[in-house]
Amino acid sequence: MNLVPRAPIAPRAWLVWSLAAVTVGLSTDNPVYRGLVALVALNVLLTWLRPGRRLRPLALMLLVAAGTAALVNVFASHTGADLLARLPGDWPLVGGPLTLESVAFGGTVGLGLVAALLAVAPLSLVLEPYDVVDAMPRPLERTGIAVATSLNLVSGFGRTFTAVRDAQRMRGWRPRGLRSWNEVLVPVLLTAIEDSVVLAEAMEARGFGAGRRTSYASRRWSRWDLVVVASAVTAAASFIALRLAGVPVDWYPYPTLFLPPINPVLVLACLALSLPGLARPARGG
Amino acid sequence: MTAHPATNTAQPIVRIDGLTYRYPGAAMPSLRSIDLEIGPGLTLVIGGSGGGKSTLLRLLDGLVPQFHGGRISGSATVAGLDPLRTPIPRLAQRVGLVFQDVETQSVYGSVEREVAFGLENAAVTRTEMHDRVDEALAGLSIEHLRGRRLSTLSGGERQRVQLAAVLAMRPELVALDEPTSQLDPEGAEAVLAACRGIVRAGRAMVIAEHRLESLLPAADRLLLVEEGRVDATAPAAARGVTAAGRRHSAVRDGLAWETSGLAAGPAGSEVLASVSLAGGAGEVVALIGPNGSGKTTLLRTLAGLIPPLSGTVRRPAGRTAYLPQNPGALLHLPTVRAEVELTLRRAGATESPELMLGTFGLVGLANRYPRDLSSGERQRAALAATLAGSPALVLLDEPTRGMDAAARSSLAAAVRSLTERGSAVVVATHDTELAAELADRTIALRDGRAVEVEPERGATDAGDAAPAAEGTR
Repeated sequence: MNLVPRAPIAPRAWLVWSLAAVTVGLSTDNPVYRGLVALVALNVLLTWLRPGRRLRPLALMLLVAAGTAALVNVFASHTGADLLARLPGDWPLVGGPLTLESVAFGGTVGLGLVAALLAVAPLSLVLEPYDVVDAMPRPLERTGIAVATSLNLVSGFGRTFTAVRDAQRMRGWRPRGLRSWNEVLVPVLLTAIEDSVVLAEAMEARGFGAGRRTSYASRRWSRWDLVVVASAVTAAASFIALRLAGVPVDWYPYPTLFLPPINPVLVLACLALSLPGLARPARGG
Repeated sequence: MTAHPATNTAQPIVRIDGLTYRYPGAAMPSLRSIDLEIGPGLTLVIGGSGGGKSTLLRLLDGLVPQFHGGRISGSATVAGLDPLRTPIPRLAQRVGLVFQDVETQSVYGSVEREVAFGLENAAVTRTEMHDRVDEALAGLSIEHLRGRRLSTLSGGERQRVQLAAVLAMRPELVALDEPTSQLDPEGAEAVLAACRGIVRAGRAMVIAEHRLESLLPAADRLLLVEEGRVDATAPAAARGVTAAGRRHSAVRDGLAWETSGLAAGPAGSEVLASVSLAGGAGEVVALIGPNGSGKTTLLRTLAGLIPPLSGTVRRPAGRTAYLPQNPGALLHLPTVRAEVELTLRRAGATESPELMLGTFGLVGLANRYPRDLSSGERQRAALAATLAGSPALVLLDEPTRGMDAAARSSLAAAVRSLTERGSAVVVATHDTELAAELADRTIALRDGRAVEVEPERGATDAGDAAPAAEGTR
């Protein structure tokens, strides 16, 4: 399929798209809609991924978050008609029946997290930190800068950890139990705090924190940005409106598992979020 | 380009009267009874670590006392404003400050936005902002970096971007706090050349700097800052370590360390290919070469921190000491003495901590919290903590980065003392003066291969043999 080349989407349009996709992904328990949002968001992310950005940390985060959420439900719910196994009742929290229904619902909980994380991933993997700042509503702009800037320190944190661990090892330190890590973690933490203070000082010296700010970037929107925003808002609004109208949006597989209901309008709403993925970045943008 | 001072030459840009300042919780003032006038042109601030240079510069843009707190008395006027009371954002439009560390002072990830950050804070209109960013980038001849991400730039390039960010504000005074201390010689010279250009264009500039050679001819005045006092009549004699010539100490023993057909690199990537080198006990081997040539990889492989991909590494029996870049990061104990004692205890050494404390001029600071020290003092504390306990093999990675002249002298003395006691020393450095002063042999690394530099060509020529182009960090 030949995709239309498009200029980069405006940061604020990305913000709206992400918020809409998160709203859809978390406003329903239905795994069909959640799965659709996750797939659509993944496609959009892969289409617009900034060159040089790595997906592995995100994949790891998705695995851990979704896996943990699903497992907690499977082992802690203990309800449902279809018994799969039974853990000894005297085991705290996890003891009791494990059911097919709890596995299914655990899956949809994990899927919801995957959808939500993939929906916000473009804010970090497609946009630059300053794009995120530009996308923020005025009252949140300064908070956005503080957050974006603190993220700059993360890479230094990793480097400091390696350097300190190696240096302490050469001074005779060996990892022996949790307490021994104080010799590495304390200096790393102190260095991170010092770096943060230096950064705060540098920002203050450049006038950050004064009254009104202006932005270097143009905030003018293209027609394409408007279409992306309109489709995303329509998707989120559809879910909210149909829920308010009493249309079944959720899926609750207890006490007996059944297939999730599918409403064509809501499927279309999910697919409306795929619009940014139907183009390709012009000039590698 | 002729000098056209931007401000009225009849009026000093900085005037300080009877000013004394003490950081919160500090026992002693960092600035004591300062009376000072600074006019247009270039002012060099010199003096040892912990003397008060950084505090003086922070006073100029109000960070001292407004950001740091503490107690202050006396008065000051900078570019017509009172830095003790004028809000810092307002001062920032007249006084620009560039910090030491190129990484921790960056706000945005890209060059263009980084340069525009101060203008955004000053609510400059977008059209004017674009004009000023263009002007600042052109003024430093770094227009070609406009679209780049900061993480892809060398240290020298990043520091020039920070200078551009300050110049975009069109300040009356530009202050730089040891802007080259974290840079290799090429990056440092590029930054200092930019500074000379800014002064020639008529801007007032105050620089605290250890690398004085290229700035002294352009300097209009020197301020010696020692123990919180400022001497405006200081002679230009406070210079860095001079190359004392090659030492050529006799190697007292056989081989202490050896690599044979060594291929190595982090995470399985080959940075070094088939490197065969050796060094003797009591011998200093200097590794030189551009950034990314494999100096740190070789040191880390010798230290046993990364395994060889192929080939062999042989180390002497006994302790191996390794000084990483940014060594101050490893300090975490309540006193400098405790840091040295920890290493001695771990090494099972019986020597007194006073030996290392004395070597690095730390006796008076032995009971201080290391992280309260100035950056130069902290570096010396880290060196003392790393080198204590008579290690058999000493590996130093850019040990003079961020060091002042006194600390460099201490380091040279410590290395001599270690080699006299039989330690083998390998030092990776961009500092050609240090290599010339200490090294028995110099090895140039380039493209993953090692070439011994001919002794008669000297360490400076060795730099030519392996041109140290500004690489990414």
